[in-house]
Amino acid sequence: MWTVKYKPRSLKEVADQTEAKTRLLKWFEAWKPGSKAALLYGPPGNGKTCTVEALAREKGLDLLETNASDVRSEERIEHFLGRGVRETSLLGTRGKLILIDEIDGLQAQSDRGGVRAIVKIIRESVFPVVLTANDPWDRKLYEIRSLCELIEFKKVPVRDAVKRLAEICQREGVKADPQALKAIAERNQGDLRGAILDLETLARGRKQITLRDLEILGKREREADIFEALRGVFKSRSALSAKLSVINVDMDPDEVFWWIEQNIVNEYERLEDLAEAYEALAKADLFRSRVIRRQNWRMQAYMMDLMTAGVSQAKREPYRKFTRYQRPERLSFFSKTMAERERLNSLLGRLASRLHCSTRKVKTEFLPYLLYLAQQDERFARRLASALEASKEDLKMLASFYG
Amino acid sequence: MSLEVWAEKYRPKTLDEIINQRHVVARVKVFVEEKNIPHMLFAGPPGTGKTTMALCIARELYGDQWRANVLETNASDERGIDVIRGKIKDFARTIALGGAEYRIVILDEADALTADAQHALRRTMETYSATVRFILICNYSSKIIPPIQSRTAVFRFKALSEDDVREFIQRIVKGEKLKIDEAAVKAVIYLCEGDLRRAANLLQAAAALGDKITEEMIYEVASQARPDDVKRMLENALKGRFKEAREILYKMLVMQGLAGEDVVREIHRQIYALNIPEKAKVELVEAVGECDFRISEGADALIQLEALLARIAASKAKAG
Repeated sequence: MWTVKYKPRSLKEVADQTEAKTRLLKWFEAWKPGSKAALLYGPPGNGKTCTVEALAREKGLDLLETNASDVRSEERIEHFLGRGVRETSLLGTRGKLILIDEIDGLQAQSDRGGVRAIVKIIRESVFPVVLTANDPWDRKLYEIRSLCELIEFKKVPVRDAVKRLAEICQREGVKADPQALKAIAERNQGDLRGAILDLETLARGRKQITLRDLEILGKREREADIFEALRGVFKSRSALSAKLSVINVDMDPDEVFWWIEQNIVNEYERLEDLAEAYEALAKADLFRSRVIRRQNWRMQAYMMDLMTAGVSQAKREPYRKFTRYQRPERLSFFSKTMAERERLNSLLGRLASRLHCSTRKVKTEFLPYLLYLAQQDERFARRLASALEASKEDLKMLASFYG
Repeated sequence: MSLEVWAEKYRPKTLDEIINQRHVVARVKVFVEEKNIPHMLFAGPPGTGKTTMALCIARELYGDQWRANVLETNASDERGIDVIRGKIKDFARTIALGGAEYRIVILDEADALTADAQHALRRTMETYSATVRFILICNYSSKIIPPIQSRTAVFRFKALSEDDVREFIQRIVKGEKLKIDEAAVKAVIYLCEGDLRRAANLLQAAAALGDKITEEMIYEVASQARPDDVKRMLENALKGRFKEAREILYKMLVMQGLAGEDVVREIHRQIYALNIPEKAKVELVEAVGECDFRISEGADALIQLEALLARIAASKAKAG
């Protein structure tokens, strides 16, 4: 794994985090038993743990480490760290550095008493203690926080991440398009570990990577928003990546369906592409109706493949342009015009009952003539309104919808 | 205040006033005289008197209290058979007014029900047959499942002849004291295609244009009142302007809430007037048919029609 292979060996090698490193060193130099512990915090993958490991190596210390994957009940912490933090080594002359990683991962139930045990360790340790957390402001960490010096690790800037990725490529003998590296860094939003993982996924066993290769990358953890998903569907060349681009969208497949429907015309310009895309969507719609009518949920998988991979494969070439995607008009229309349509439907219902036919027939057989009449003949319009117990505005609305 | 719509004003009130359909009237009269009607199924083209026949039967059976003894419901407006069943159940539980033994349920546009819904309806018909008689109305009896057909007296309404339509026009002309020339009458007969409802609407709208109704006025009304959205939509698609065509489609289906089937039917009607090669017309018919089939199978009309328009636009692009 490149994330292990290229772990920084020294503090200098840790990308960015200049201020955090300086503060950590200062804290370490000044530390004596009874001093505050250090709590390193910030988003994942920006070098908190690496920095502690590099510090231990540089100072020639043994690192005594526990992290979120260990069970951290009171007894276990005491058992694992208790003796180590209180006794200086009898055999070696080396000092120790204690690392308690990911403390916001403490579970209320299974780590019962964990916070109390950690507090005890911090108070009694004869060696410096470093803790890490993504979110140090969690209520359960209140007591720990008060015993710590807080040191923030910021997101790794794209520029620094790209530099690191480029170094790795050079050492692996991979020719990388700078645009591709930049894209990898950007999509990982300050998470260098994630970026290195992506790089490895793309570049392992290959001599070069380009921007296009990025399409095969799935999403990691973070919820992909619908706009990104649409980009995935419309811009990708691979059927699979188009399909995968919507899986993390926190939205009902039906809603995603309408988002795609709305934006085909925004993305595709060639008429052949449009025709194929809508045909794919129309086929997806057939499966959708099977889901709805027969409650056959297995059909949903085919609906989703056709609306993503199918629509994606409709294009001859991806369009190299920025597309501003829109919300589905159909859905927003229904919510925006709720009140209007209710009035309209009640009006149409009254007409239907007076004319002994369905509202559908009212719309197709009567409205064209009635609206024409109302427009020609003011007296007729008044009579119509009063017979339907409708206002002038109601009729106007009717005309605006059907005129 | 009465709704001044001539199609309603001149709707026959008695069986004797019904235009033609003598074969149906003759038999229905026997049922009415014996005060015993079976379940019935009226099938036939629009505007030929099916709903009117049902309403006349109710009037003759119950007199002034007919409204209290009739449940009018419409399959295309009621979402799902459960709503219909619920309404029928509530209706059947109360006793008929005026000493009648049973009440009448008129279920219009029954061919809008799916086969499953019709099977459910069949059970409902059996459950309440002691207290309720059904009159089902549809355009095509073939869309009604055989078990229902076998439990009803099926009446086929004939398409009306020119003379039939003329008779109806004369009633309105007399009743409204209209002045109309022969060419205008012929125009109404031609345009209404045997649909008396449409004949009445054409006349009423034309009468608003002037004292004497002329042929030109009838055609003016017909072109004004027939929304040309479908035509404009097709023309845009044929010129490769897909976005514009799609906008019109959205207006019709989403804004106006028109039924997809109605739009498909209108497209079908207009194919032969399009300015495209004859062979292309036949190809388009097939595409429209496929689209109609999918919608009837439960697919979304907007999506299917979009695909159709995109296909038309693309075929034009290929042809150059």
